[in-house]
Amino acid sequence: MRIVQYIEFLRRNMKGLVRALIVYLIVLVVFDVTLSRHDAHYIIDKVYAFWTIFGIVGCFILIKVAKGIAHLFLGKDEDFYG
Amino acid sequence: MDRWIHPAIFFFIGALILPLFRGKAKKFVILLIPALSIIDVAFMMEGIYGSYNFLNADIIFGRVDKLSLVFAWVFTIMGFLGAIYALHVEEDGHHMAAYFYVGASLGAIFAGDYLTLFIFWEIMAFSSVFLVWYRKEKKSIAAGYRYLLVHVFGGLCFFTGMMLYYYKTGNMVFDKILPANAGVAEYLILAGFALNAAVIPLHAWLPDAYPEATVAGAVFMCAFTTKTAVYVLARGFPGFEILAILGTAMTVYGVFYAVIENDMRRVLAYHIVSQVGYMVAGVGIGTEMALNGACAHAFAHILYKALLFMGAGSVLYMVGTAKLSKLGGLYKYMPLTMIFYVVGAISISGFPLFSGFVSKSMIVASAHHEGRIWLMLLMNLAGIGTFLSVGLKVTYFAFFGKESAVQPKDPPKNMLWSMGLTSALCFIIGVYPNSLYVLLPFPVEYHPYNLHHLSEMLQILSFTGLVFFLLVKKLAPEDKINLDLDIFYRAGAWVFMKIDEKIISVLDSLWGEAYRAIGLSLLFKNARLSYGFDRKVIDGVVDGSATAVRMVGFVVRKLQTGKVQAYIGLALLMFFLIVWILLVRM
Repeated sequence: MRIVQYIEFLRRNMKGLVRALIVYLIVLVVFDVTLSRHDAHYIIDKVYAFWTIFGIVGCFILIKVAKGIAHLFLGKDEDFYG
Repeated sequence: MDRWIHPAIFFFIGALILPLFRGKAKKFVILLIPALSIIDVAFMMEGIYGSYNFLNADIIFGRVDKLSLVFAWVFTIMGFLGAIYALHVEEDGHHMAAYFYVGASLGAIFAGDYLTLFIFWEIMAFSSVFLVWYRKEKKSIAAGYRYLLVHVFGGLCFFTGMMLYYYKTGNMVFDKILPANAGVAEYLILAGFALNAAVIPLHAWLPDAYPEATVAGAVFMCAFTTKTAVYVLARGFPGFEILAILGTAMTVYGVFYAVIENDMRRVLAYHIVSQVGYMVAGVGIGTEMALNGACAHAFAHILYKALLFMGAGSVLYMVGTAKLSKLGGLYKYMPLTMIFYVVGAISISGFPLFSGFVSKSMIVASAHHEGRIWLMLLMNLAGIGTFLSVGLKVTYFAFFGKESAVQPKDPPKNMLWSMGLTSALCFIIGVYPNSLYVLLPFPVEYHPYNLHHLSEMLQILSFTGLVFFLLVKKLAPEDKINLDLDIFYRAGAWVFMKIDEKIISVLDSLWGEAYRAIGLSLLFKNARLSYGFDRKVIDGVVDGSATAVRMVGFVVRKLQTGKVQAYIGLALLMFFLIVWILLVRM
């Protein structure tokens, strides 16, 4: 399959891929800053790059809290119920 | 008016005649039935059909309007896609169960009264459980029984509510209920519906049963039960504040578990709770836009969630396990499955050009419109969790990540075709949202492809991706299961067994001892007594009566001379005797 070769090409050139993605993330933030905020009613619409911050913080909290609680008491052995 | 054919009929008849066919003819019939139902829905006109009077209640089999039609479309299309996916399944019973299940779902969405709805509701539960049982593993049998018991409980809530409703209003018509008029009856019905929609805390049956279903069965199950429930909620309970809050809670609750679960299909099952949460919240917000969003999301969700279950099912079918801790590097061996799964994953995450982007955002935007900022933020948090769990975690640990020992192939052709078609639909809806919007119950004024929405979604998704790759080691799947509220009935059963073992069986053996010590000696005494009684009294009586019979027989023998004149003489004697008695009495 051609797709397998593409993926392997990308995996060999991880560094380039990571750089491209970083550029893409910066472009995203810049793009958001340039958007008009005329009809913004709520704070979430007014703050620049609000959803960038939300994405980072939200994802971080979700991973930490979910994994934390799973390790604390939710996670059980697979034969817990017999 | 009379031209209306209930699409469920195709499935019910199809299920009954299917075992008559073999080989290619059978496969043809399996595909023909849902294809006919799609054509039937395409030609359906709005109106009320199949209305009867039964025991002073109006029974309506066919309430066809925009709301029921949008669900009919996606149910019949899904029936077709599911049939393709299940084409290789040998057991007739599996196909029959699926057909009864799809047919009953269609029956439920066209039902105009509670009684009809209830009947189809129960057929759904009792047919879908076979899709779990056909897995034929010990765990599946047990999970199936739990599934059935929970649904019977939900059905009873619904039934009780329905009876109280009839007592209160004198009719069975199933229509919109205003929150101000809702009493015990309405809330019981709501609870029955909410259980099927996996509204927390009534959700645990779903991630318990779906991952134990058959490979093809899970594809059917993920589409119909919860979405039928979304339909009835949208029909009966729009604008109920409790649904807005519980729905939003579901969105976060589902992804929370999806982040930590190990089994691919259990991740997806928890994720249904999250996705249905959006729809329930949309119903709860209750504006035209939110209800449109709930229907659009149900439509889009059925397709991409089925696609994801098809992908995970393919892995399970080819590898023999769907546990992420045992998978990895599958992109080399199952490239097509990987592509289709990723299409489902980016659709569900709401990437532009795919269906989630045009459906989920309608609900989120309606929360925004109504000034429900907290609901909106929590839904977007769930959006992060969606991409994190279904999009990144499962894709990474199953198809990429470390190499595992397994080297499977892509699944059989029918499964690939089904996934390919479903992927195409996800893409078409994403690119031409109007193809979906024209089906919605209210006119649509929403445009998903505006710059603010694009920027919002891309930021959320891209930076979620960033954090995922920074914390990927934290997310490594573990060979664990996670407790959920089903512990109350699963551990409840365990506690019951312990009580049985420790208390009841101890009491039982104590009783046994007591019986041996006291009862047996009493029994022996009793036996001796009755033996004596038997010897002395009974035998005496029996022997006595035997002697008496012999004596009577001896006398009677004298009369039985065998001569006719003697008999006639005796008869005359008797006759005169009777006449004499009668005369004397007069």
